[in-house]
Amino acid sequence: MKKRTKHLMAAVCAGALLLAGCGKHDETLKIFCWSEYIPQEVIDRFTEETGIPVAVENFASNEEMLAKLLAGGGDYDLIQPSEYAVQALMRENLLHRLDDKRIPNLKNIAPEFRSMPFDPGNRFSIPWLAGFVGIVYNAETVTRPIVGFADVFSPEHAGRIIVVDDPREIVTWALTTAGIPINDVSDENLATITPLLQDWLAKVKIYDSDSPKTALATGDADLGVVWSGEAALLFDENPKFQWVMPAEGVHMFVDNLAIPKTARHKDKAEEFMNFILRPDISKMISDEFPYYNPNAEARRLLSEEQLNNPASYPPGFDVTTAELFGDIGEQASKVDELITTIKLQ
Amino acid sequence: MAVPAAATPPATGPLLPRRAGLGAWFFLTPMLGWLLLFVIVPAVMLVVVSFSERDSLGRIVYSFTFENYLRAFDWTWLRILGISIWYAFLTTAICLVLGYPVAYFIGRSNDRLRTLLLLLVMIPFWTSFLIRTYAWISILSSQGLLNAALLGLGLTTAPIGFMYTPFAVVLGLVYNFLPFMILPIYTSVEKLDNSLIEAAYDLGARPTRVFLQVVLPLTRPGIVAGVLLVFVPAIAMFAITTLMGGGTNPTIGEVIHNQFTRARNQPFGAALGVLLMVVFIFSLWIGTRQRRGYDE
Repeated sequence: MKKRTKHLMAAVCAGALLLAGCGKHDETLKIFCWSEYIPQEVIDRFTEETGIPVAVENFASNEEMLAKLLAGGGDYDLIQPSEYAVQALMRENLLHRLDDKRIPNLKNIAPEFRSMPFDPGNRFSIPWLAGFVGIVYNAETVTRPIVGFADVFSPEHAGRIIVVDDPREIVTWALTTAGIPINDVSDENLATITPLLQDWLAKVKIYDSDSPKTALATGDADLGVVWSGEAALLFDENPKFQWVMPAEGVHMFVDNLAIPKTARHKDKAEEFMNFILRPDISKMISDEFPYYNPNAEARRLLSEEQLNNPASYPPGFDVTTAELFGDIGEQASKVDELITTIKLQ
Repeated sequence: MAVPAAATPPATGPLLPRRAGLGAWFFLTPMLGWLLLFVIVPAVMLVVVSFSERDSLGRIVYSFTFENYLRAFDWTWLRILGISIWYAFLTTAICLVLGYPVAYFIGRSNDRLRTLLLLLVMIPFWTSFLIRTYAWISILSSQGLLNAALLGLGLTTAPIGFMYTPFAVVLGLVYNFLPFMILPIYTSVEKLDNSLIEAAYDLGARPTRVFLQVVLPLTRPGIVAGVLLVFVPAIAMFAITTLMGGGTNPTIGEVIHNQFTRARNQPFGAALGVLLMVVFIFSLWIGTRQRRGYDE
């Protein structure tokens, strides 16, 4: 295309965008995903191989994704919900049933991830990456042996702890410690764990969900409860950052790709799903984001070093024993209020 | 939002406003359209949503309930609002104390130096405030530049925890808002009539008295504008407070942000937003009264 025509088209498109929303007939695949979760390389490669242009928009939490999706502004073709968001969207009949024939690479996924309770048989979603919420500590400065949450929140660690800024997560650790099922967030159970949370959170120095590794790397925190991928990056940088699966119980999250009912390009979205399930592509994702890869074929391609990172692939841990989040609906607001109130104490 | 209200002097004197002609309306239309679309409509939407309910996925269910407001008047949220106002007040006071001498110096210096100094005040705006805040993190962290310098000079034996404290929050806020204090005061200082200051000296006033009775009243419009431009946005600021404070002291901006995202409670977030809007309107009202007092 001549340069001038290109400019003209861009101008016309911009004008149309202002008037009626450009792109009603365009071929772009619109992906709505977590920030820092899909390597740019993977997207470029997809466009290169298929000729399908991709537009990416980011969110920072499942709730933000749900809010924008349900407000109906985005025309997203692919979304990246975690397990409980998949469950909620399926319940509301808001996801497209996937066409197995168009996603043959689903066979690469390890059997335990083909039968996850939120979507058995992957009828509505395919797994992207999974991860754990566990403990990371700096072995040079933390002397006490760390086995579980009780050790993390011991008095000697007051003012040295970083945790993810996620009320649901924080509440989950207390529920596990109290022996309550993690999806049972009734008012009574929240009241039961309140004293424990008050004790714990008084010792926390930093809340950060986006990049908890930063404060640990700079020495502003010595230990914390963080996402496994963050801990894996710290371990790669310096093995003094040790990873511990909490003795009280382990929560696993599974992030997925799914196609909302409002998608304009269902077939292209399925093509993208099939593409990222290819072992070589899935390896590219693992190289950049060292979470647990549910793609068994891709795991074969990973290096010894990657597979031996205890935060990515906790040795001897059976993922089917991990607990998963279920959707808690309106209680999310109560959980948020509880943690906000305790932070103020 | 603060700018037009603060910058428009209230109508005074016997001059009757002339009726706007067609031409004037033509040029005003974009501005009015902008105000309607991005100020009036969102504010109305916020009020409507604040009386609504939501379902389990966080979708808004339009109804009429006072529940969100009843909940908003809980001690937890009022305390958070109080803390945010306190941070904003501290920020404003420090910006005023630091900014006034700077603005005065710039306003009274010669043309060449003035251009250079104004440029220096503006340069930070060329970079996103988030990036500048991250820069502060690398300066203040335990293994950051400041601690490295202190340790190197032997002024301290162990790193000092500057980051993730209320000190860091106020520092971040002051750093980001200081230019908004300097610039309006500078415009007032620049307009200062030198002959009035000379007259005061001729009449025997000492420097302190000249400053308090002549300079300060004459630069009051700039001070009021600067205070409003810092105080109002500082109350609702959340990115800086979260990044620098480590999230241990929630601010009202952060709490409202959370209602719209992870708490799945937009109506409650809207109710808190309306309360915040009331605080803004009140601050602006006090600000305008201050200016009116000056004009009379």
